[in-house]
Amino acid sequence: MNIAGHVDKIRRLEDLRKRLNPDADFELWFWSTMTAGTNAVNAALHHAGITPEERAFPSQPGVYSVPAGPNAADFKSVLKTSGDVLHVGRPPIPGPIPDDIAEMMKAMEQIEHFRDPCTRGDMTIDAKVISTCGQAYEKCVGLLERRLSEKKQ
Amino acid sequence: MITAKHKEKALRIERSLAKCEARDYEIRIEAAMLAATHWVNGAYHALGVSAENNDILHTYMLTVNEYRRYAAANEHLIGKLAEIEDVRPLYVRGDVAGGEAIADRAVALLNDIRAIALGV
Repeated sequence: MNIAGHVDKIRRLEDLRKRLNPDADFELWFWSTMTAGTNAVNAALHHAGITPEERAFPSQPGVYSVPAGPNAADFKSVLKTSGDVLHVGRPPIPGPIPDDIAEMMKAMEQIEHFRDPCTRGDMTIDAKVISTCGQAYEKCVGLLERRLSEKKQ
Repeated sequence: MITAKHKEKALRIERSLAKCEARDYEIRIEAAMLAATHWVNGAYHALGVSAENNDILHTYMLTVNEYRRYAAANEHLIGKLAEIEDVRPLYVRGDVAGGEAIADRAVALLNDIRAIALGV
């Protein structure tokens, strides 16, 4: 996707995060957080010229849906070696990675650590989990904002 | 995870889903996927098709053999979950227009899956 598309999704997901209760709605609050953070990493990777800014949407690592006509039904699956990640590490991005993006990825790994145990499994969701995810997210999007405002393409 | 826990988790996600608005289509689709996966796993455990320590994460991660086995037990459960998953690249990770209507469809599929699972 392009940077503007990622940023639009981040803004809308942040709006939803504010309407959800991090405790009572943890699963969707978490999923909004993780999805917005992943969009931030993808936007930063495009900005750094590491992955292409294009309408190619990942379905699994290395497989992307790309437009082959004007309608949604016209999208087809293709293999690509580089593009948006589904999650940090899926697929891995070959280095070198700028320091700020490496920090963003590290923050996302902190969030991803809770994905399956807390949304698929029955790991106890407590204030520490919420705070860890919240702080990691703020760090991730803060670094994207800094990159987009300070480092011109 | 045991069937009762899957049900508890699915209902919890559905309560949060009810707080989402049409414009939150990405997370409505993701919520449908997450809750439906819990219903599907709980139902297949109850049917004796899968063990409680062997949950489906995504249908596309199953081997063809496993997928066919689940479909033989109940093709609607696995098929409708796969249909929800299939819209994620274009509408959750992509920028294709029409996400609101697609999210409505995903939630309708979740409703179907819940009804089947509760009947098992």
